[in-house]
Amino acid sequence: MKRENRTTPKVDIRRYTDDQDGCMTFEPTISLDKIDDLPDSSPLVNRYSQISLKRDGEEMLLILPTQSEINSDLPWSETWQELKHLLKTKEQSWQLGTNVCLVAKDRLLDARQLQTIAETLEDVKLSLVTVSTNRRQTAVAAATSGYSVQQNTMSQPLIEPQNDSEETTTATMAEPLYLQSTVRSGVEIRHPGTIVIFGDLNPGGKAIAAGDILVWGRLRGIAHAGAQGNHQCRITALQMEFTQLRIADAVARAPKLRPRRLSPELAFMSTEGIRLAKTSEFAKNYIFSSPQKAWIDKNQAK
Amino acid sequence: MSRIIVVTSGKGGVGKTTTTSNLGAALAKQNRSVALIDADFGLRNLDLLLGLEERVVYTAIDVLAGECRLAQALVKDKRLKGLVLLPAAQNRNKESVNPEQMKKIATALAKGYDYILIDCPAGIELGFRNAISAANEALIVTTPEVAAVRDADRVIGLLEAEGVNKISLIVNRVKPLMVEENKMMSVEDVLELLGVPLIGVVPDDEKVIVATNKGEPLVLGEYESVPAQAYSNIARRLEGEKVPFLDLMANQGNLLSRLRRMFGG
Repeated sequence: MKRENRTTPKVDIRRYTDDQDGCMTFEPTISLDKIDDLPDSSPLVNRYSQISLKRDGEEMLLILPTQSEINSDLPWSETWQELKHLLKTKEQSWQLGTNVCLVAKDRLLDARQLQTIAETLEDVKLSLVTVSTNRRQTAVAAATSGYSVQQNTMSQPLIEPQNDSEETTTATMAEPLYLQSTVRSGVEIRHPGTIVIFGDLNPGGKAIAAGDILVWGRLRGIAHAGAQGNHQCRITALQMEFTQLRIADAVARAPKLRPRRLSPELAFMSTEGIRLAKTSEFAKNYIFSSPQKAWIDKNQAK
Repeated sequence: MSRIIVVTSGKGGVGKTTTTSNLGAALAKQNRSVALIDADFGLRNLDLLLGLEERVVYTAIDVLAGECRLAQALVKDKRLKGLVLLPAAQNRNKESVNPEQMKKIATALAKGYDYILIDCPAGIELGFRNAISAANEALIVTTPEVAAVRDADRVIGLLEAEGVNKISLIVNRVKPLMVEENKMMSVEDVLELLGVPLIGVVPDDEKVIVATNKGEPLVLGEYESVPAQAYSNIARRLEGEKVPFLDLMANQGNLLSRLRRMFGG
Protein backbone atom coordinates (compact mmCIF):
# COMPACT_ATOMS: atom_id res chain seq x y z
CA MET A 1 0.00 0.00 0.00
CA LYS A 2 1.37 3.31 -0.92
CA ARG A 3 0.71 5.76 1.75
CA GLU A 4 2.34 8.67 0.00
CA ASN A 5 -0.45 8.84 -2.51
CA ARG A 6 -3.06 9.23 0.11
CA THR A 7 -1.24 11.85 2.08
CA THR A 8 0.21 13.92 -0.72
CA PRO A 9 -0.50 17.49 0.25
CA LYS A 10 -2.00 19.92 -2.14
CA VAL A 11 1.10 21.16 -3.79
CA ASP A 12 1.57 24.54 -5.13
CA ILE A 13 4.84 25.08 -6.92
CA ARG A 14 5.89 28.54 -7.74
CA ARG A 15 8.99 30.52 -7.55
CA TYR A 16 9.74 31.10 -3.96
CA THR A 17 9.45 34.69 -2.99
CA ASP A 18 9.86 35.71 0.51
CA ASP A 19 7.11 37.77 1.96
CA GLN A 20 8.73 39.75 4.66
CA ASP A 21 12.39 40.54 4.57
CA GLY A 22 14.60 41.92 1.93
CA CYS A 23 12.70 41.23 -1.22
CA MET A 24 10.40 44.15 -1.00
CA THR A 25 13.28 46.54 -1.09
CA PHE A 26 14.09 45.51 -4.64
CA GLU A 27 10.78 46.75 -5.84
CA PRO A 28 10.03 50.36 -6.51
CA THR A 29 6.51 50.00 -5.22
CA ILE A 30 4.90 47.48 -2.99
CA SER A 31 2.86 45.17 -5.12
CA LEU A 32 0.26 42.71 -3.97
CA ASP A 33 1.26 40.24 -6.57
CA LYS A 34 4.37 38.87 -5.05
CA ILE A 35 4.79 36.06 -7.52
CA ASP A 36 5.61 38.06 -10.60
CA ASP A 37 8.38 40.42 -11.51
CA LEU A 38 10.79 39.63 -8.82
CA PRO A 39 14.48 39.21 -9.38
CA ASP A 40 15.78 35.69 -9.17
CA SER A 41 15.84 34.74 -5.57
CA SER A 42 19.23 35.41 -4.16
CA PRO A 43 20.62 33.06 -1.56
CA LEU A 44 17.97 33.11 1.07
CA VAL A 45 19.69 32.12 4.22
CA ASN A 46 22.30 34.68 3.58
CA ARG A 47 19.88 37.48 3.20
CA TYR A 48 18.70 37.10 6.71
CA SER A 49 21.86 35.81 8.11
CA GLN A 50 21.94 35.91 11.84
CA ILE A 51 24.19 35.61 14.82
CA SER A 52 26.13 32.42 15.10
CA LEU A 53 28.27 30.86 17.75
CA LYS A 54 30.86 28.29 16.88
CA ARG A 55 33.92 26.62 18.21
CA ASP A 56 37.31 27.56 16.88
CA GLY A 57 40.04 25.57 18.57
CA GLU A 58 40.24 26.60 22.18
CA GLU A 59 37.87 29.52 21.96
CA MET A 60 34.38 30.22 20.71
CA LEU A 61 33.54 32.66 17.97
CA LEU A 62 30.45 34.82 18.29
CA ILE A 63 29.80 36.12 14.80
CA LEU A 64 27.48 39.05 14.23
CA PRO A 65 25.93 39.59 10.81
CA THR A 66 27.36 42.50 8.85
CA GLN A 67 25.38 45.67 8.30
CA SER A 68 24.71 44.70 4.71
CA GLU A 69 23.53 41.22 5.64
CA ILE A 70 20.94 42.40 8.07
CA ASN A 71 19.86 44.62 5.22
CA SER A 72 18.54 47.45 7.31
CA ASP A 73 19.10 49.08 10.62
CA LEU A 74 17.80 46.26 12.76
CA PRO A 75 17.46 47.72 16.22
CA TRP A 76 20.09 46.73 18.71
CA SER A 77 17.48 45.34 21.09
CA GLU A 78 16.43 42.80 18.43
CA THR A 79 19.99 41.67 17.92
CA TRP A 80 20.40 41.27 21.63
CA GLN A 81 17.12 39.32 21.94
CA GLU A 82 18.34 37.02 19.22
CA LEU A 83 21.64 36.49 20.99
CA LYS A 84 19.90 35.64 24.23
CA HIS A 85 17.64 33.18 22.46
CA LEU A 86 20.56 31.57 20.70
CA LEU A 87 22.54 31.12 23.89
CA LYS A 88 19.55 29.73 25.72
CA THR A 89 18.54 27.16 23.19
CA LYS A 90 21.85 26.10 21.76
CA GLU A 91 23.38 22.95 23.05
CA GLN A 92 25.81 24.07 25.71
CA SER A 93 28.78 22.07 24.64
CA TRP A 94 31.43 24.45 25.87
CA GLN A 95 33.58 24.29 28.96
CA LEU A 96 32.84 26.73 31.77
CA GLY A 97 34.67 29.97 31.31
CA THR A 98 35.57 29.40 27.68
CA ASN A 99 36.99 32.49 26.03
CA VAL A 100 34.92 34.13 23.34
CA CYS A 101 36.02 36.20 20.41
CA LEU A 102 33.32 38.56 19.19
CA VAL A 103 33.50 38.88 15.42
CA ALA A 104 31.75 42.20 14.98
CA LYS A 105 32.83 42.83 11.37
CA ASP A 106 31.53 46.20 10.22
CA ARG A 107 29.00 46.62 12.99
CA LEU A 108 29.28 49.64 15.18
CA LEU A 109 29.20 48.72 18.84
CA ASP A 110 29.55 51.13 21.72
CA ALA A 111 30.95 50.34 25.17
CA ARG A 112 27.50 49.77 26.60
CA GLN A 113 26.51 47.30 23.91
CA LEU A 114 29.79 45.44 24.39
CA GLN A 115 29.08 45.27 28.09
CA THR A 116 25.58 43.88 27.46
CA ILE A 117 27.06 41.20 25.22
CA ALA A 118 29.68 40.34 27.84
CA GLU A 119 27.03 40.10 30.56
CA THR A 120 24.78 37.95 28.42
CA LEU A 121 27.69 35.63 27.70
CA GLU A 122 28.57 35.50 31.37
CA ASP A 123 25.12 34.15 32.13
CA VAL A 124 25.99 31.02 30.20
CA LYS A 125 29.51 30.88 31.62
CA LEU A 126 31.33 32.26 28.64
CA SER A 127 33.77 35.14 28.94
CA LEU A 128 34.26 37.76 26.29
CA VAL A 129 37.97 38.31 25.78
CA THR A 130 38.63 39.42 22.25
CA VAL A 131 36.76 41.71 19.89
CA SER A 132 37.52 41.47 16.22
CA THR A 133 36.28 44.37 14.15
CA ASN A 134 37.03 46.46 11.12
CA ARG A 135 35.43 49.61 12.46
CA ARG A 136 37.71 51.99 14.26
CA GLN A 137 35.04 53.21 16.67
CA THR A 138 34.18 49.69 17.78
CA ALA A 139 37.88 48.96 18.24
CA VAL A 140 38.29 52.03 20.42
CA ALA A 141 35.22 51.15 22.50
CA ALA A 142 36.47 47.59 22.95
CA ALA A 143 39.97 48.71 23.89
CA THR A 144 38.67 51.17 26.48
CA SER A 145 36.52 48.44 27.99
CA GLY A 146 39.60 46.31 28.36
CA TYR A 147 39.10 43.69 25.64
CA SER A 148 41.90 42.73 23.36
CA VAL A 149 41.22 43.98 19.88
CA GLN A 150 41.86 42.51 16.47
CA GLN A 151 41.31 45.01 13.73
CA ASN A 152 40.66 44.33 10.07
CA THR A 153 40.16 40.66 10.24
CA MET A 154 38.08 40.55 7.08
CA SER A 155 40.90 38.94 5.15
CA GLN A 156 41.48 36.27 7.73
CA PRO A 157 39.77 32.90 7.45
CA LEU A 158 37.84 33.72 10.59
CA ILE A 159 35.03 34.89 8.44
CA GLU A 160 33.00 32.05 7.06
CA PRO A 161 32.95 31.68 3.31
CA GLN A 162 29.16 31.32 3.28
CA ASN A 163 28.88 34.86 4.53
CA ASP A 164 30.35 36.01 1.30
CA SER A 165 27.34 36.55 -0.90
CA GLU A 166 28.96 35.70 -4.25
CA GLU A 167 30.08 32.27 -3.19
CA THR A 168 27.02 31.25 -1.30
CA THR A 169 25.53 28.65 -3.56
CA THR A 170 28.73 26.73 -3.89
CA ALA A 171 29.90 27.18 -0.35
CA THR A 172 29.96 24.25 1.99
CA MET A 173 27.26 24.29 4.59
CA ALA A 174 27.82 25.22 8.18
CA GLU A 175 27.81 22.51 10.80
CA PRO A 176 24.33 21.53 11.97
CA LEU A 177 22.56 23.70 14.48
CA TYR A 178 21.22 21.72 17.38
CA LEU A 179 18.47 23.38 19.40
CA GLN A 180 17.04 21.82 22.49
CA SER A 181 13.89 23.77 23.08
CA THR A 182 10.52 24.38 21.56
CA VAL A 183 10.50 27.02 18.86
CA ARG A 184 7.58 29.20 19.84
CA SER A 185 5.42 31.61 17.89
CA GLY A 186 7.31 34.64 16.65
CA VAL A 187 10.72 32.97 16.72
CA GLU A 188 12.56 32.50 13.47
CA ILE A 189 15.56 30.17 13.33
CA ARG A 190 17.83 30.69 10.34
CA HIS A 191 20.91 28.67 9.73
CA PRO A 192 23.18 28.13 6.73
CA GLY A 193 23.25 24.39 7.37
CA THR A 194 21.02 21.69 8.82
CA ILE A 195 18.75 22.46 11.76
CA VAL A 196 17.88 19.88 14.40
CA ILE A 197 15.14 20.83 16.83
CA PHE A 198 14.75 18.69 19.88
CA GLY A 199 11.28 19.93 20.76
CA ASP A 200 8.29 21.26 18.88
CA LEU A 201 8.12 23.83 16.15
CA ASN A 202 4.96 25.66 17.15
CA PRO A 203 2.55 27.47 14.85
CA GLY A 204 3.86 30.96 14.19
CA GLY A 205 7.43 29.72 14.55
CA LYS A 206 9.73 29.36 11.57
CA ALA A 207 12.84 27.37 10.74
CA ILE A 208 14.84 28.24 7.64
CA ALA A 209 17.81 26.09 6.77
CA ALA A 210 20.17 25.81 3.87
CA GLY A 211 20.23 22.10 4.62
CA ASP A 212 17.73 19.65 6.08
CA ILE A 213 15.35 20.26 8.96
CA LEU A 214 14.78 17.57 11.56
CA VAL A 215 12.16 18.13 14.22
CA TRP A 216 12.20 15.63 17.04
CA GLY A 217 8.69 16.63 18.06
CA ARG A 218 5.69 18.19 16.37
CA LEU A 219 6.17 20.36 13.36
CA ARG A 220 3.28 22.81 13.40
CA GLY A 221 4.86 25.98 12.11
CA ILE A 222 6.72 26.77 8.92
CA ALA A 223 9.82 24.88 7.84
CA HIS A 224 11.95 25.83 4.86
CA ALA A 225 14.70 23.42 3.91
CA GLY A 226 17.24 23.93 1.16
CA ALA A 227 16.64 27.65 1.34
CA GLN A 228 19.60 28.33 -0.91
CA GLY A 229 18.04 26.31 -3.66
CA ASN A 230 19.04 22.75 -2.86
CA HIS A 231 16.22 20.43 -3.98
CA GLN A 232 17.76 17.46 -2.26
CA CYS A 233 17.01 18.79 1.21
CA ARG A 234 14.33 17.13 3.27
CA ILE A 235 12.18 17.97 6.25
CA THR A 236 11.29 15.35 8.76
CA ALA A 237 9.30 15.40 11.99
CA LEU A 238 7.84 12.96 14.46
CA GLN A 239 4.46 14.54 13.76
CA MET A 240 3.83 16.56 10.63
CA GLU A 241 1.14 19.11 11.41
CA PHE A 242 2.76 21.97 9.54
CA THR A 243 1.24 25.26 8.47
CA GLN A 244 3.48 25.35 5.45
CA LEU A 245 6.51 23.50 4.14
CA ARG A 246 9.03 24.90 1.71
CA ILE A 247 11.83 23.08 0.00
CA ALA A 248 14.10 25.23 -2.16
CA ASP A 249 11.62 27.18 -4.30
CA ALA A 250 8.53 25.04 -3.76
CA VAL A 251 5.78 25.66 -1.26
CA ALA A 252 3.26 23.20 0.13
CA ARG A 253 0.34 23.93 2.35
CA ALA A 254 -1.07 21.47 4.82
CA PRO A 255 -3.60 19.12 3.28
CA LYS A 256 -7.15 19.55 4.49
CA LEU A 257 -7.44 15.97 5.59
CA ARG A 258 -4.82 14.36 7.71
CA PRO A 259 -4.69 10.88 9.19
CA ARG A 260 -5.63 10.82 12.83
CA ARG A 261 -2.66 8.86 14.01
CA LEU A 262 0.48 10.50 12.84
CA SER A 263 3.68 8.59 12.38
CA PRO A 264 7.08 10.14 11.67
CA GLU A 265 6.96 11.57 8.19
CA LEU A 266 9.38 13.10 5.78
CA ALA A 267 8.79 15.78 3.18
CA PHE A 268 10.84 15.75 0.02
CA MET A 269 10.88 17.17 -3.45
CA SER A 270 9.33 14.86 -6.03
CA THR A 271 8.98 15.61 -9.71
CA GLU A 272 5.49 16.93 -8.97
CA GLY A 273 6.38 19.06 -5.99
CA ILE A 274 6.64 18.48 -2.30
CA ARG A 275 5.45 15.10 -1.06
CA LEU A 276 5.20 13.31 2.22
CA ALA A 277 6.30 9.77 2.95
CA LYS A 278 6.72 7.68 6.03
CA THR A 279 10.21 8.35 7.31
CA SER A 280 10.80 4.65 7.80
CA GLU A 281 10.03 3.88 4.16
CA PHE A 282 11.65 6.81 2.45
CA ALA A 283 15.21 5.59 2.21
CA LYS A 284 14.37 2.28 0.61
CA ASN A 285 11.92 3.68 -1.91
CA TYR A 286 13.44 6.88 -3.18
CA ILE A 287 16.61 8.01 -4.81
CA PHE A 288 17.68 11.51 -5.74
CA SER A 289 18.00 12.25 -9.41
CA SER A 290 20.25 15.21 -10.07
CA PRO A 291 19.10 15.95 -13.64
CA GLN A 292 15.45 16.02 -12.56
CA LYS A 293 16.31 17.84 -9.36
CA ALA A 294 13.92 15.62 -7.48
CA TRP A 295 13.60 12.41 -5.55
CA ILE A 296 12.21 9.62 -7.71
CA ASP A 297 10.80 6.21 -6.98
CA LYS A 298 13.58 3.64 -7.13
CA ASN A 299 11.33 1.04 -8.75
CA GLN A 300 10.17 3.33 -11.50
CA ALA A 301 13.68 4.54 -12.15
CA LYS A 302 14.73 1.18 -13.53
CA MET B 1 10.55 36.08 50.43
CA SER B 2 7.80 37.77 48.57
CA ARG B 3 6.81 36.68 45.12
CA ILE B 4 6.49 39.06 42.21
CA ILE B 5 4.10 37.55 39.68
CA VAL B 6 3.08 39.06 36.37
CA VAL B 7 -0.31 38.16 34.90
CA THR B 8 -0.01 38.30 31.15
CA SER B 9 -1.47 36.89 27.94
CA GLY B 10 -0.37 38.69 24.81
CA LYS B 11 -3.90 38.91 23.46
CA GLY B 12 -6.34 41.37 24.92
CA GLY B 13 -9.68 40.51 26.43
CA VAL B 14 -8.86 37.05 27.70
CA GLY B 15 -9.29 37.98 31.36
CA LYS B 16 -5.97 39.21 32.73
CA THR B 17 -7.46 41.95 34.85
CA THR B 18 -10.32 39.77 36.09
CA THR B 19 -7.81 37.10 37.01
CA THR B 20 -5.53 39.58 38.78
CA SER B 21 -8.35 41.05 40.86
CA ASN B 22 -9.80 37.69 41.82
CA LEU B 23 -6.48 36.09 42.62
CA GLY B 24 -5.48 39.11 44.68
CA ALA B 25 -8.71 38.91 46.64
CA ALA B 26 -8.45 35.13 47.04
CA LEU B 27 -4.89 35.36 48.34
CA ALA B 28 -5.84 38.15 50.74
CA LYS B 29 -8.70 35.97 51.96
CA GLN B 30 -6.10 33.35 52.81
CA ASN B 31 -4.47 35.92 55.09
CA ARG B 32 -1.71 36.90 52.73
CA SER B 33 -0.69 40.48 52.16
CA VAL B 34 -1.07 41.30 48.50
CA ALA B 35 -0.17 44.35 46.43
CA LEU B 36 -1.70 44.60 42.97
CA ILE B 37 0.06 46.77 40.42
CA ASP B 38 -1.87 47.99 37.43
CA ALA B 39 0.73 48.18 34.67
CA ASP B 40 -1.79 49.11 32.02
CA PHE B 41 -0.97 52.81 31.87
CA GLY B 42 -3.47 54.80 29.89
CA LEU B 43 -6.07 52.03 29.94
CA ARG B 44 -6.38 51.23 33.58
CA ASN B 45 -9.16 48.91 34.66
CA LEU B 46 -8.01 47.08 37.72
CA ASP B 47 -9.40 49.76 40.08
CA LEU B 48 -12.82 49.39 38.42
CA LEU B 49 -12.91 45.66 38.86
CA LEU B 50 -11.97 45.97 42.49
CA GLY B 51 -14.50 48.75 43.04
CA LEU B 52 -11.79 51.13 44.17
CA GLU B 53 -12.07 53.74 41.45
CA GLU B 54 -13.40 56.57 43.58
CA ARG B 55 -10.67 56.11 46.14
CA VAL B 56 -7.73 56.55 43.79
CA VAL B 57 -5.81 59.71 44.69
CA TYR B 58 -2.26 59.20 43.48
CA THR B 59 -0.94 56.89 40.80
CA ALA B 60 2.32 55.13 40.04
CA ILE B 61 3.36 58.12 37.92
CA ASP B 62 3.04 60.43 40.92
CA VAL B 63 5.22 58.10 42.94
CA LEU B 64 7.86 58.07 40.23
CA ALA B 65 7.72 61.84 39.90
CA GLY B 66 8.28 62.12 43.63
CA GLU B 67 4.97 63.87 44.20
CA CYS B 68 3.93 61.40 46.85
CA ARG B 69 5.32 58.51 48.80
CA LEU B 70 4.67 54.97 47.62
CA ALA B 71 2.55 54.23 50.69
CA GLN B 72 0.31 57.21 49.93
CA ALA B 73 -0.47 55.98 46.45
CA LEU B 74 -1.56 52.55 47.60
CA VAL B 75 -5.33 52.15 47.76
CA LYS B 76 -6.39 49.82 50.56
CA ASP B 77 -9.32 47.53 50.04
CA LYS B 78 -11.82 48.03 52.88
CA ARG B 79 -13.36 44.58 52.52
CA LEU B 80 -10.12 42.67 52.77
CA LYS B 81 -7.28 43.32 55.11
CA GLY B 82 -3.97 42.98 53.34
CA LEU B 83 -5.09 43.82 49.81
CA VAL B 84 -3.79 47.03 48.26
CA LEU B 85 -3.73 48.44 44.74
CA LEU B 86 -1.18 50.68 43.10
CA PRO B 87 -3.18 52.34 40.33
CA ALA B 88 -1.82 53.24 36.93
CA ALA B 89 -2.16 56.71 35.53
CA GLN B 90 -5.04 57.07 33.13
CA ASN B 91 -3.86 60.33 31.56
CA ARG B 92 -0.53 58.97 30.39
CA ASN B 93 0.51 56.18 28.12
CA LYS B 94 2.95 53.30 28.31
CA GLU B 95 5.94 55.34 27.21
CA SER B 96 5.82 57.41 30.38
CA VAL B 97 7.38 54.58 32.37
CA ASN B 98 10.44 52.46 31.71
CA PRO B 99 11.35 48.95 32.88
CA GLU B 100 13.83 50.20 35.50
CA GLN B 101 11.19 52.37 37.13
CA MET B 102 8.71 49.51 37.26
CA LYS B 103 11.37 47.32 38.78
CA LYS B 104 12.06 49.95 41.43
CA ILE B 105 8.40 50.15 42.41
CA ALA B 106 7.88 46.39 42.50
CA THR B 107 10.99 45.70 44.55
CA ALA B 108 10.02 48.46 46.97
CA LEU B 109 6.58 46.89 47.39
CA ALA B 110 8.10 43.44 47.77
CA LYS B 111 9.55 44.50 51.08
CA GLY B 112 6.12 44.88 52.62
CA TYR B 113 3.93 42.32 50.89
CA ASP B 114 3.87 38.56 50.40
CA TYR B 115 2.59 38.76 46.86
CA ILE B 116 3.02 41.41 44.19
CA LEU B 117 0.64 40.75 41.30
CA ILE B 118 1.27 42.81 38.19
CA ASP B 119 -1.58 43.24 35.74
CA CYS B 120 0.11 43.36 32.34
CA PRO B 121 -1.34 45.23 29.37
CA ALA B 122 -2.09 43.37 26.13
CA GLY B 123 0.57 43.34 23.46
CA ILE B 124 4.30 42.79 23.58
CA GLU B 125 5.54 46.35 23.38
CA LEU B 126 6.96 48.61 26.04
CA GLY B 127 3.97 48.17 28.34
CA PHE B 128 4.58 44.44 28.36
CA ARG B 129 8.30 44.87 28.91
CA ASN B 130 7.61 47.24 31.79
CA ALA B 131 5.24 44.79 33.40
CA ILE B 132 7.56 41.79 33.20
CA SER B 133 10.77 43.62 34.13
CA ALA B 134 10.41 43.02 37.84
CA ALA B 135 8.66 39.67 37.78
CA ASN B 136 10.24 36.42 38.77
CA GLU B 137 7.14 34.39 38.01
CA ALA B 138 4.42 34.59 35.41
CA LEU B 139 0.83 33.49 35.09
CA ILE B 140 -0.25 33.12 31.51
CA VAL B 141 -3.96 33.63 30.95
CA THR B 142 -5.41 32.22 27.77
CA THR B 143 -8.79 31.18 26.46
CA PRO B 144 -9.29 28.03 24.41
CA GLU B 145 -9.13 29.91 21.12
CA VAL B 146 -6.49 29.60 18.44
CA ALA B 147 -5.57 33.29 18.45
CA ALA B 148 -5.27 33.52 22.23
CA VAL B 149 -3.16 30.37 22.40
CA ARG B 150 -0.90 31.56 19.60
CA ASP B 151 -0.27 34.84 21.41
CA ALA B 152 0.29 33.03 24.68
CA ASP B 153 2.92 30.92 22.96
CA ARG B 154 4.72 34.04 21.75
CA VAL B 155 4.60 35.59 25.19
CA ILE B 156 5.97 32.45 26.83
CA GLY B 157 8.89 32.59 24.41
CA LEU B 158 9.55 36.23 25.30
CA LEU B 159 9.32 35.53 29.02
CA GLU B 160 11.75 32.66 28.72
CA ALA B 161 14.17 34.89 26.84
CA GLU B 162 13.91 37.42 29.67
CA GLY B 163 14.79 34.74 32.18
CA VAL B 164 11.33 34.37 33.72
CA ASN B 165 11.25 30.62 33.87
CA LYS B 166 8.58 29.90 36.43
CA ILE B 167 5.55 30.08 34.18
CA SER B 168 2.11 28.64 34.92
CA LEU B 169 -0.98 28.55 32.78
CA ILE B 170 -4.57 29.54 33.48
CA VAL B 171 -7.11 28.49 30.89
CA ASN B 172 -9.97 30.93 31.18
CA ARG B 173 -13.52 30.90 29.81
CA VAL B 174 -13.76 27.19 29.15
CA LYS B 175 -17.17 26.07 27.99
CA PRO B 176 -17.34 22.41 28.98
CA LEU B 177 -20.33 21.67 26.78
CA MET B 178 -18.67 23.05 23.69
CA VAL B 179 -15.53 21.11 24.46
CA GLU B 180 -17.55 17.95 24.72
CA GLU B 181 -19.15 18.57 21.38
CA ASN B 182 -15.70 19.14 19.90
CA LYS B 183 -16.48 22.74 19.06
CA MET B 184 -13.86 24.21 21.33
CA MET B 185 -10.22 23.45 22.03
CA SER B 186 -9.92 21.40 25.17
CA VAL B 187 -7.62 22.27 28.04
CA GLU B 188 -5.48 19.31 26.97
CA ASP B 189 -5.09 20.75 23.46
CA VAL B 190 -3.92 24.05 24.89
CA LEU B 191 -1.50 22.38 27.29
CA GLU B 192 -0.07 20.18 24.61
CA LEU B 193 0.84 23.17 22.49
CA LEU B 194 2.15 25.50 25.15
CA GLY B 195 3.97 22.96 27.26
CA VAL B 196 3.86 24.86 30.55
CA PRO B 197 2.32 23.57 33.80
CA LEU B 198 -1.38 24.20 34.35
CA ILE B 199 -2.38 26.03 37.51
CA GLY B 200 -6.06 26.58 36.92
CA VAL B 201 -9.08 26.18 34.68
CA VAL B 202 -11.84 28.77 34.95
CA PRO B 203 -15.21 28.09 33.32
CA ASP B 204 -17.07 30.69 31.32
CA ASP B 205 -19.78 32.14 33.52
CA GLU B 206 -22.14 35.10 33.35
CA LYS B 207 -21.53 35.75 37.02
CA VAL B 208 -18.04 36.96 36.10
CA ILE B 209 -19.53 39.79 34.03
CA VAL B 210 -21.98 40.71 36.77
CA ALA B 211 -19.24 40.80 39.38
CA THR B 212 -16.97 42.82 37.10
CA ASN B 213 -19.64 45.44 36.56
CA LYS B 214 -20.37 45.64 40.26
CA GLY B 215 -16.72 46.15 41.04
CA GLU B 216 -16.62 43.23 43.38
CA PRO B 217 -14.25 40.30 42.90
CA LEU B 218 -16.20 37.05 42.59
CA VAL B 219 -14.35 35.43 45.41
CA LEU B 220 -15.85 38.02 47.76
CA GLY B 221 -19.40 37.34 46.60
CA GLU B 222 -22.04 36.08 48.97
CA TYR B 223 -22.77 32.99 46.98
CA GLU B 224 -20.36 30.31 46.02
CA SER B 225 -19.91 30.12 42.29
CA VAL B 226 -17.82 27.77 40.19
CA PRO B 227 -15.46 30.49 38.85
CA ALA B 228 -14.96 31.83 42.39
CA GLN B 229 -14.08 28.32 43.50
CA ALA B 230 -11.68 28.03 40.57
CA TYR B 231 -9.92 31.27 41.51
CA SER B 232 -9.66 30.24 45.17
CA ASN B 233 -8.13 26.98 44.05
CA ILE B 234 -5.54 28.79 41.94
CA ALA B 235 -4.63 30.91 44.96
CA ARG B 236 -4.22 27.76 47.04
CA ARG B 237 -2.07 26.17 44.35
CA LEU B 238 0.09 29.29 44.31
CA GLU B 239 0.60 28.68 48.01
CA GLY B 240 1.89 25.23 47.16
CA GLU B 241 -1.20 23.25 48.11
CA LYS B 242 -2.18 20.32 45.96
CA VAL B 243 -5.80 20.94 44.96
CA PRO B 244 -7.52 18.69 42.42
CA PHE B 245 -8.92 20.45 39.35
CA LEU B 246 -12.65 21.08 39.32
CA ASP B 247 -14.81 18.74 37.34
CA LEU B 248 -16.39 21.30 35.07
CA MET B 249 -18.63 18.71 33.51
CA ALA B 250 -20.27 17.79 36.81
CA ASN B 251 -23.37 19.94 36.49
CA GLN B 252 -23.49 20.24 32.74
CA GLY B 253 -25.65 18.74 30.10
CA ASN B 254 -28.93 16.92 30.17
CA LEU B 255 -29.72 13.64 31.83
CA LEU B 256 -28.91 11.61 28.75
CA SER B 257 -25.41 13.01 28.21
CA ARG B 258 -24.67 12.73 31.91
CA LEU B 259 -25.69 9.11 31.90
CA ARG B 260 -23.59 8.55 28.82
CA ARG B 261 -20.57 10.02 30.56
CA MET B 262 -21.23 7.89 33.60
CA PHE B 263 -21.03 4.76 31.50
CA GLY B 264 -17.90 5.94 29.82
CA GLY B 265 -19.50 6.70 26.46
